[in-house]
Amino acid sequence: MAQKNINKQNAAWKYGFAIIIILAGLVFWRLGIGDRFLGFSSVGTWLVYVGFVMMAVITLQLLSRKKRIVDERMEFVATKAARVTFTAIIIFAFIVMIIDGIKPITLAYSYFMSYLVCGIVLVYFLSYKVLLRFY
Amino acid sequence: MDNRIAEFRKEIKMTQQQLADKVNVTRQTIISLEFGRYNPSLNLAHSITKALKKRHIEQVFNLR
Repeated sequence: MAQKNINKQNAAWKYGFAIIIILAGLVFWRLGIGDRFLGFSSVGTWLVYVGFVMMAVITLQLLSRKKRIVDERMEFVATKAARVTFTAIIIFAFIVMIIDGIKPITLAYSYFMSYLVCGIVLVYFLSYKVLLRFY
Repeated sequence: MDNRIAEFRKEIKMTQQQLADKVNVTRQTIISLEFGRYNPSLNLAHSITKALKKRHIEQVFNLR
């Protein structure tokens, strides 16, 4: 049971992390590392993009005055959602293995990982929202 | 677990939101508790008992 709000010290750490990501992106871009990154022109520009998105999210969190309450029921549901997501990943892995056995999957690793991460976030979010209605 | 939160809350003319604010949870959690969908932790049960001005947890919560 706690009222969670982003404080200035937390925000400073997060801004620092975002700046490191942007700087790393600029270095990668300047040195020409990862030039053939699918979806984006290079890994560097992608990192710069992610850094700016992070900064925007942190700023929005800082500006919102609404107090966010995270109570024990939400934590309980979050744990259940994590378990559902974990099970979904295992089932998905089996399905991918079977499909790959039938017909080899030819997909760039960066695409595969980005789909996987988006899928995990989506499954977690949906299972959390659905489970919240049952508890 | 059965509980008499709604009954005692109405007795002291307290809204779900007021009780939620008192025990630091959301109103949805109070609704879930009143409908028996969620079993509270000992800490929360104790806080609710206190907020409802009862002496013992057993007065508010009972095992089925």
